[in-house]
Amino acid sequence: MEKMKLKLLYSDLKSDIDIIERELEKAVDSSSYLINDASLHLLQAGGKRIRPIFVLLGAKFGDYDIEKMKDVAVPLELIHMASLVHDDVIDDSNMRRGRPTVKSQWNNRVAMYTGDFIFARALEYITKLEDPLVHQILARTMVEICNGEVIQIEDKFRLDQGLKDYFRRIKRKTALLISSSCELGAVAAGVDPKTVRHLKRFGYFVGMSFQIIDDVLDIMATDKELGKPAGSDLLQGNITLPILLLKDDPEMQPYLVKVFAGTLTEPERQNMLQYVRKSHAIEQANRMSDKYLKKALQEIDALPKHPVKKKLRDVALFMGKRKF
Amino acid sequence: MNATYIQNSIAQLKTEIFMDVRHRTLQKYTGVPVLDENQLFYLLIPFLNGEEWQQEQQEAAITVGIVYAALAAHDHIKEVDATSKEQQLTVLAGDFYSGRYYEILAMSGNVALIKSLSKGIVSRCEHQIKVYEDEQRSIEQWYASMRNIDAGLIAQFFGLYSFSEYIPLIEKSLLILRLEREWAAHQRGQMSLIGKALEERIRQNGATFHSVIQEKIVHLKTELSQMVDHASFLQSDVKQALHAHVEASIASTNG
Repeated sequence: MEKMKLKLLYSDLKSDIDIIERELEKAVDSSSYLINDASLHLLQAGGKRIRPIFVLLGAKFGDYDIEKMKDVAVPLELIHMASLVHDDVIDDSNMRRGRPTVKSQWNNRVAMYTGDFIFARALEYITKLEDPLVHQILARTMVEICNGEVIQIEDKFRLDQGLKDYFRRIKRKTALLISSSCELGAVAAGVDPKTVRHLKRFGYFVGMSFQIIDDVLDIMATDKELGKPAGSDLLQGNITLPILLLKDDPEMQPYLVKVFAGTLTEPERQNMLQYVRKSHAIEQANRMSDKYLKKALQEIDALPKHPVKKKLRDVALFMGKRKF
Repeated sequence: MNATYIQNSIAQLKTEIFMDVRHRTLQKYTGVPVLDENQLFYLLIPFLNGEEWQQEQQEAAITVGIVYAALAAHDHIKEVDATSKEQQLTVLAGDFYSGRYYEILAMSGNVALIKSLSKGIVSRCEHQIKVYEDEQRSIEQWYASMRNIDAGLIAQFFGLYSFSEYIPLIEKSLLILRLEREWAAHQRGQMSLIGKALEERIRQNGATFHSVIQEKIVHLKTELSQMVDHASFLQSDVKQALHAHVEASIASTNG
């Protein structure tokens, strides 16, 4: 149902998204059959393709040409894909989107080489654009994402952290790449600097809202919907917003002790999820997501008059209210 | 140009690479980036030979070193169970170094080198992953993979900066050193995956690893020696340094 809504939402961009999908397949084409298999395995697992979408929407404010925009949209999706392949090695994840991860289907080394290959292809692709600004934006974003991941590992299993730590983490983990997608689409299409700034900020706020919802869904959705066990974030030591909001709750404490000791049983995982789902933390987290969403919508209001503003609003609202 | 000058040039390049990728947390858990001094030596050959070497070429050499460090970090990831904090941060160290090489070149607007190095990384990954593929490969194909893994990125840099005549020299030299390392590792029972794949292929051909490798090394050394002696673009002290470097590296590998 949700996927249908998303398809409908993207319907007027369908032909351009189809071009990007085809380009993604071409981009991961390799002389190594193993890299081909692993990359196609990733591509076929789908994904919301939100980064390419935001590139296209950002570019609509300028001189929109899909032939040029695909050179920005494709690498951004590839960078996202490459980071997922490496993240699965870091998190020792066996399932993603209901499919075995590259590292579980083959091994960690294959995942490393596949990720490096995809990442290099992304850069090879984006060098079709010669504007140094494009590369400076993307490079800074990539370094910051990496810094965010280092911080995430340092913060694992640490309850002596606050909301500021969490927001700093998700900014780098998710919001920056979405923000850069909007910014890069606009820059590549020659949009004026003021509009680029609003689009960049819009992407940042949507990204923050998106990640909070992602963290809520990790608790609220079923194992089947997630394609991995619900509560995986916490089981891997990542303290997401709902857990952070409950960290001092006396009824939550025994679960956390067991999660950190690695002794949480399956029935206990179910009970813990039930407890978090019924707690105030979910509502509070959703409210925080809404605050970011509201800020994103304010940025749209500041953009010049353009028919694509409605689309940006619809996509943002969908992202902030999605159920998968 | 004497040995001290060469060592100082390598040390300076190394320091500049370390400075450009320093990261408190990564260094605490994963140490400094892994750099192969042989690769750094060959990376600097055009400079040592007096080719035009401005800030741009030095920066390019630094970024090639950073890319090798990034890929070397990922070579250290275990095939299974990379769950220790050190392993997790080694994955990120490689990614961080890759981000930094891109950032350095983006800041100076060197899009051409970003493109060349990206192509080089793509090709290197394709060669590295061959050890996990079922496809039957010849001995020469395994040599080609070793050559690409060790020298491919330097070749990309040289190609872009009109140092192409140096490429066969560094490819041969690095392959000799690789084969010597594999032979030494074979004797200790610690061969790399690609070394094992080569050994298996040689065994399937009904030959012994020792004879094939030693013959190849002798052949490559003869070719290299002739190539260096006949290279009119090389200064005589650089020719000497090239001969001496191969011998010294072999001696240190075996000794």
